[in-house]
Amino acid sequence: MNRSLFDKVWETHVVEELPGGNALVFMDLVVAHEITTPQGAIAIEKEFGDRLYDPARIVAMNDHVSPAKDTATAIQAQVLRTWAKRHELTLYDIGDGGICHVIVPERGHVTPGMTVCCGDSHTCTLGAFGAFALGIGTTAQAGAMLAGCLILQRPAVMRVDVKGLLPADATAKDLALAVIGEIGFRGGTGYVLEYTGSAIRALSMEGRMTLCNMAIEAGATSGIIAADETTIAYLAATQLAPFGYRCERADSNAHYERTVTIDASQIRPTVSWGTNPGEASPVDGCVPDDAPAESLAYMDVFPGQRMSSIAIDQAFIGSCTNARISDLRAAAAVMRGMRVRVPTIVTPGSQAVRRQAEREGLHDIFQDAGALWTHSSCGPCLGMSMGVLAPGMRCISSSNRNFPGRMGDGGRVHLASPAVVAASAIMGRIASPLELAAREAVTA
Amino acid sequence: MIVRGSVLAIDRPNIDTDQIIPARFLTGIDESGLGAQCMSGMPDGPAQLARVPDATILVVGQNFGCGSSREHAAWALRDRGFRAVIAPSFARIFLENAYNNALVPVTIDAALLPQFVAATNATIDVENETVSIDGGAPIAFALDPLRKAFITGGGFLPYLASKIPVVRAWDIAWHK
Repeated sequence: MNRSLFDKVWETHVVEELPGGNALVFMDLVVAHEITTPQGAIAIEKEFGDRLYDPARIVAMNDHVSPAKDTATAIQAQVLRTWAKRHELTLYDIGDGGICHVIVPERGHVTPGMTVCCGDSHTCTLGAFGAFALGIGTTAQAGAMLAGCLILQRPAVMRVDVKGLLPADATAKDLALAVIGEIGFRGGTGYVLEYTGSAIRALSMEGRMTLCNMAIEAGATSGIIAADETTIAYLAATQLAPFGYRCERADSNAHYERTVTIDASQIRPTVSWGTNPGEASPVDGCVPDDAPAESLAYMDVFPGQRMSSIAIDQAFIGSCTNARISDLRAAAAVMRGMRVRVPTIVTPGSQAVRRQAEREGLHDIFQDAGALWTHSSCGPCLGMSMGVLAPGMRCISSSNRNFPGRMGDGGRVHLASPAVVAASAIMGRIASPLELAAREAVTA
Repeated sequence: MIVRGSVLAIDRPNIDTDQIIPARFLTGIDESGLGAQCMSGMPDGPAQLARVPDATILVVGQNFGCGSSREHAAWALRDRGFRAVIAPSFARIFLENAYNNALVPVTIDAALLPQFVAATNATIDVENETVSIDGGAPIAFALDPLRKAFITGGGFLPYLASKIPVVRAWDIAWHK
């Protein structure tokens, strides 16, 4: 047999082949949040007698703007809440909530070999558990809630083989940006990225989630990583402590439509300079000479400009990419005893992450440094609630998207790891933790 | 089903869904009223739309609709009056959202894009999968045969609802 891991997950969920190369694919779990679910839930209520395929397979949460910021978002949250209670769904809400892609795995809802969908493009995060997890639109999500299935074209599979080990100062975020740089911002379209290799095996579950989270930023349907001892140990420590799942892996001679090999030892701390996540350079490098004019104009940077010369107006540590406890520890290690020079917002990925961080005293480190320590939510990442950028403002962010206007109309976003965001917040310009440490050594 | 009308071309690749409809406008619980904010996340989006106020067909560069899964992007385009989008390629989630909202996604050869960008009018024959510009010869394109039926027929959710017995039988057999 020569099947990839993805092949095995796919083949165990196909209910029926459909015309045009489509398949009816069973969904083990549907994640529902307040921004993209109400329209679908209301459609099911009005047109299909309010019936759900299997309420036990739906997990609901208020996460994007939680607590609500105004009447409109309060209505969204209340519609979701009322619907979830009516169907006796598992509901994560104010007080015990968090970002869907943080809280769903943190509680143990996702196990190897599952299929998961959510009306949210970063659902690919959950591929870190050896699951096939994908983002979909509201109507498709409604279909999955109504009929337990999606209609999908079978994606091709691209092996992303990451050999060697990451250097000490490089993180899963830097690897994620490197993968997008390698295959291109739309190079993953039509593919699932199956990550393999020693550098992947060495990643923690949190690092694997960060990597898979950004598969969509290469246009990929999802990312997937074979479960191993790291996965099993992580799941055993979750609230649900799931068991009885099978840990599949690719056959040794698995067929892949495409294979990309990356040398992990060459990965550097990386920061985006442009308007998509593929437009990035090493933190100690420069804006490339062949950068597109539109990106340069929007970001107000120039070819050959040193990344470290770019001054910032705000810093954000958070989002479904980098707001887990290890991310906060990395940022705190850089910020300890320092002061930030620009407004800095630290938003934990879930209330459980927040409480763990506070047990470790990380909140004191952030607040002693002058940063704002908030409750958990999607926060500033998508410019929908708190921390919105003014036109022209420049923010370095541990999130996943640097599209024009993403964090606020006219705002500019530079993507980086939590450690680089923390060092940049302290320097008031793009900076690496190493550069910061060197400066401190001289001053001392 | 024929879609005929004025063309607005925004000849740029990678127009993401945050540009089509920024997140700050995703605060509703229905699909209506998003047309007024359509393309407002693009720095010159409103000015672009104003060039052809009655446009029903949008021509754009490759990878249209990348980024966020928000179906609001398809709703906003429809509410603004668009009935079809012509592009060399679409992002996966947007493509599905387009089909599910009868916003006809027409995928063309990238080499033909300049010709489409220069067009004033277009006629799309959904049934026969052809598009002609400014009265010219029909150019063939391909639709997903199953999803095409969602545009011309009863829609996605009724189709999936019809599959519930099949799914239930599979589910019981598979999970017993």
